[in-house]
Amino acid sequence: MYEGTCFMTAGPLDGIRVFDMTIFMVGPWASMQLGALGADVVHIEQPDIDWATLGAGVPPTINGTSIGYIAWNMNKRAFSLDMKLEEYRRRAYELLKTCDVFLVNMRPGVAERLGVGYEDVQKINPRIIYCTVTGWGTTGPMADLPGADGQVQYVTGFGSATGERDGAPELYRHLTQMDGTTGNYAAQAITMALVARERTGQGQRIDLSMLRAGTALQSGRIAEYFASGKVAERLGASGAAAAPDTAFFCEDKAWLGVSATSQSEWVALCDAIGKPELKDDARFKTNPDRVDNRDALEEILAARFAERPTDHWLFYLRRAGVPCGYTMRWDVLRNHRQVLENNYLVDVETGGWGEVTTGGPAWHFSDTPQRWFGTPFPGQHDAEVLGELEAARASQPESVKQGS
Amino acid sequence: MAGPLDGLKVLEIAEAVAGPYAAMALGDAGAEVTKIESLDGDRSRDWGSHKRGDHGAVFAGLNRNKRSVTLDPSKPESKDAVRRLAKDADVIICDAGWDKKIGLTFEDVQAINPRAVYLSISEWGDKGPWANQPPYGELAAQLASEATLSLGNIGEKPVREGTDIGSMYAGVYGIQAINAALYARERTGKGQRIDVSLFGCLMALRSTLWVALSNPDYWWGFHLDSYIKPPDHGYKAKDGKRIFMSLARMTPEEREQLHTALGGLDFLEGEPRKQMFLEDRGGGGTRYGYLITDLWEKLFSNMDSEPLIELLRKLGGWAFPLNDYQTLFNSDQVEAVGMLTKTEYPGLGERPTMQPPWEFADTPASIRLPPPALGAHTKEVLAGVGL
Repeated sequence: MYEGTCFMTAGPLDGIRVFDMTIFMVGPWASMQLGALGADVVHIEQPDIDWATLGAGVPPTINGTSIGYIAWNMNKRAFSLDMKLEEYRRRAYELLKTCDVFLVNMRPGVAERLGVGYEDVQKINPRIIYCTVTGWGTTGPMADLPGADGQVQYVTGFGSATGERDGAPELYRHLTQMDGTTGNYAAQAITMALVARERTGQGQRIDLSMLRAGTALQSGRIAEYFASGKVAERLGASGAAAAPDTAFFCEDKAWLGVSATSQSEWVALCDAIGKPELKDDARFKTNPDRVDNRDALEEILAARFAERPTDHWLFYLRRAGVPCGYTMRWDVLRNHRQVLENNYLVDVETGGWGEVTTGGPAWHFSDTPQRWFGTPFPGQHDAEVLGELEAARASQPESVKQGS
Repeated sequence: MAGPLDGLKVLEIAEAVAGPYAAMALGDAGAEVTKIESLDGDRSRDWGSHKRGDHGAVFAGLNRNKRSVTLDPSKPESKDAVRRLAKDADVIICDAGWDKKIGLTFEDVQAINPRAVYLSISEWGDKGPWANQPPYGELAAQLASEATLSLGNIGEKPVREGTDIGSMYAGVYGIQAINAALYARERTGKGQRIDVSLFGCLMALRSTLWVALSNPDYWWGFHLDSYIKPPDHGYKAKDGKRIFMSLARMTPEEREQLHTALGGLDFLEGEPRKQMFLEDRGGGGTRYGYLITDLWEKLFSNMDSEPLIELLRKLGGWAFPLNDYQTLFNSDQVEAVGMLTKTEYPGLGERPTMQPPWEFADTPASIRLPPPALGAHTKEVLAGVGL
């Protein structure tokens, strides 16, 4: 269990309840963020589901369950419903009456077939925010195709913009990031709609696709494409927009990332590395000059950085306020002071897989506390949620009970 | 309503990518955004090599729906102006470092406007030995968070991600948190401070890997990260275009049909990796797959990428084109979902631009203002607060 301050007390979305009909990564990731923000996320799984099939079986496993399911379903309660059966569907409708958000990431048409299309849910609860997440949108020739992280990195051009200089486009540098990105865009859209509901009193439908989230993430480079008509160039470690902004091999045979992306950082860099003459070199006057002469600039700097070890440069660059950093191995990062003091990694107890380490909340709030808690096993909260539904039923006036 | 955040006021004291992107997204969602810039302007006005007028395309891509106000941080009247603007703001987005430079720390804001939600963006976090550094080291954050040395082949020069993902994530997480805090404010009547960092957001996006490393039943070296595996480049078809494919769901009969349709497996005669090929199902996520890419490409050398993708899909496989921006934005799917519109690029006339990513049925997001020229709204905005 993550024992930060005020663990498990209310977050900013305290009082919000989410009907979480999500599978694989992108949808569960979205609701996991809402849970971290304080919402009561009720994650739905089939009754008596085989744990080996959870999280699409993405390897490796812990006690036979995919680490995907465990990593993507924290901060939630687990409730069993078989939406194909009438008896469960009635229960789902009862639960939906108490919810603020409905989230689904099945292919277009599936929710409708299960009786929880937008019209159905809106009729039950007009205040609900109904969010769908799809791979490629709800229309068009790709609407029915599967979409997951790898394909989205390819299709959205992300792979084409990544790669060694003059090398082939590539992916899997950072697997799962497009799933996480789209989930985060869904969570942000839902929080926006909650703010709007405070004024309109109405819920609404939100549609989000991995195609649109994945391209939004590349807004800067795509804007350059639209302006220039030229597709993104693959530049290895170098940034496309500014120079110098790349990795240098130092005397201790380690790579140091150095980014001087403003004029003042450029000036500070030249002085800090003992190359003040570069400031007056006509090729390097402004950032557009330095971008145009990137190769010449990087060659001069590479020769200089190779003369001293990483720590030497870290010392002088940090003093000068030039952003810089280096790669850490995972075992170093795991216990790094900067990571621990910011709770960027947390240990949480799960409902069936022991204690695991995971990324903690990416934000810190000054007043409403942080929370992050471990994954429940499917159906772990069945009795609890059923009890709440019963209590809600009992407290309803007789007329409403008969009407429903 | 012009979006879910219609009427909210946002003050942006940020530059580069993270803060500007977060503020632009709030603007897309209907908020009224005022961007404070130093007399030199946001550093990203100088980015790229296609600068026209006072900014280039990267700035244009991250700064629509804003008004620009220039202030000289060294002058006391600038601090007064910023405070007057802050008094009226619902949201303040401030890069670490700028808060002190411009005289608008969270504590300053609390004293004049306790309802404001204040987002601070830093490089490494608001605590720890590297606390509250300015958020401009995209590559440093990427290198530090890539716990598995997966940025490139081990020992070789790192390869950065194709876009500034750490900065963009900080913007994305920042927006979630701001809206959650705005929602909470309806109950508490109070704003609060939120901190995000490039490094922290990159760490959070790696959660799957961290759980995988916790206490797995077995460790197979690769699945959710390329910690021992070279990056994937897809498969080249006859026309030289690359595709993604996975045959995991194909039946043995379908696999057989695929081989036949592509001219058979004669090329595997005497090939020592034949068995590896026959057992491989593509996808780039398998342990040995990268060792036989050339064999797949031999099989695919008989067909162009488009019909090949169609064939693979027909036979139960997954197949997608490896797009660059040109093939992506000329695709039927982009057309069908209507994700593009036109906007004015400085000195270039009308060019395409992307619509905001979320589709709100009742309160649609919108593009109302072009990226502002430096200081274009200084007079008008300052007059609005009595200066």
